[in-house]
Amino acid sequence: MRLTFLIFAFFIAIISSVPGQGIGGPGTIKDDGRFAASTKQLNQFFRRFNGEESVDGNIRFYPGDSLYQNPALRKGFLNILFDNQTSSVSPQLKSEFIQYVLSDVYPYFLNFQREGWYAEVDTEFFFKGKREKATLIMKIQPERLGFEWVIDQVIFPPFKNLFNKPVGESKEFLHPLSHELGFMNLRRAFQDSNLPESFTANSYSPDFLSIFLYEMKQNNLRFDTVSGVKFHFFQIGGWYFEVNQFNRPGFNTGWLISNLVRLGPGDKETILKYIYDQD
Amino acid sequence: MKNKFILFLGLFLSASLAVMAQDNISPARKQAIDSLALEKVKDLSKYVAIIGSKETQFSEANRVMDRAEELFAPGAEMGVSSINTQEIAYYKVRRYFERLMALNYDRVNITWYDIQYISDLERQPDGRYVGVITIYQRFEGTSIETGMNYRDTTKKDITIYVEKKQTQIAGRTIEFWDVMLGDVRVTETSA
Repeated sequence: MRLTFLIFAFFIAIISSVPGQGIGGPGTIKDDGRFAASTKQLNQFFRRFNGEESVDGNIRFYPGDSLYQNPALRKGFLNILFDNQTSSVSPQLKSEFIQYVLSDVYPYFLNFQREGWYAEVDTEFFFKGKREKATLIMKIQPERLGFEWVIDQVIFPPFKNLFNKPVGESKEFLHPLSHELGFMNLRRAFQDSNLPESFTANSYSPDFLSIFLYEMKQNNLRFDTVSGVKFHFFQIGGWYFEVNQFNRPGFNTGWLISNLVRLGPGDKETILKYIYDQD
Repeated sequence: MKNKFILFLGLFLSASLAVMAQDNISPARKQAIDSLALEKVKDLSKYVAIIGSKETQFSEANRVMDRAEELFAPGAEMGVSSINTQEIAYYKVRRYFERLMALNYDRVNITWYDIQYISDLERQPDGRYVGVITIYQRFEGTSIETGMNYRDTTKKDITIYVEKKQTQIAGRTIEFWDVMLGDVRVTETSA
């Protein structure tokens, strides 16, 4: 009940502090508070999460400002940074996460330039004339004087079964004395077999991103459009959360946490593997 | 008179050069850049309203399109999506304005919400800074013949590039910060 009141009070504060002058001055439409409440950019998600801006978003707080990373301000923000309409995150888990993040001893913050967060970008390409979906996993990296987003992996269904290395008795091989014959039996690997990957090392793993780029350079792949974006965060020790954009009526909109998981040993690797391989 | 001008310029620059000597942008400098960027976005919104208005003559609309185009960095694009599909349709800035001008409504009214959001500035590999300004626009179009009335509210995320430039004034090299607009993401909202 107290929490509901606090959240309500927070919204009222947002609504009441909407500036009178906007982009076009007189004649502009007065926001009823929905756009002010919305987490309009991922940048605002970071700032709200860290408590680095005013409730209406008009003032950026910097180190030395009295409200910079203020725990009470953060608590108000953290409560509205969750998708409260469709998400299956339980109130209990959400509350534990907020408590963890706002710890008196060791509070946690998000950092734009630090690794530990990824963008998952759904795109559409034309591959050999046919429209296909491709998911790009992207991350921020330092480069020369600043930073850049780079593609770390691609998940492209047409490549999914391109390499299917057999195991066990069905796997063909080059016998261990092939060298004595000057590897003349390579003909078996490259001409007679439909599965040349059978002859690769145990450590072999296809690099789909390189193949993707190669196909693009061969003009077999043509970019069409972006169809969706979401973000994965591992920056808060022991937790994983997913941030999605919610474009819907009401006050609980914009970039919000849609999924939250408390990580046990090995969970981070499992989730990362799922994100990168989508298996 | 010339001496006064140089003195004024000197005073103006002494305040900013101390900040500019470092490559980081101080909060005060950021605020000044934000204002400059907002001015450019305001100019853009004025131009959009003129281009979209049916009362604007063709030659005038073309002149305003030229002015509007000058606000943008070369190659800037508009990426448009609707409520029904998140897929982005891409238009060059000029093409976007031309489509806006050609809309088949007898009355077009473009207004702006009194809210905007300005991101932090991040440095990109070439040393320029990049940020995003978010604004909301309401479009209303009426066709007298069909009686059709169309209305939508769009969120516009506008890229801004911030760059330190140099110019020569009275034989002295003067550094200043310039703001250019870049790609614009236009998303239909459910408001």
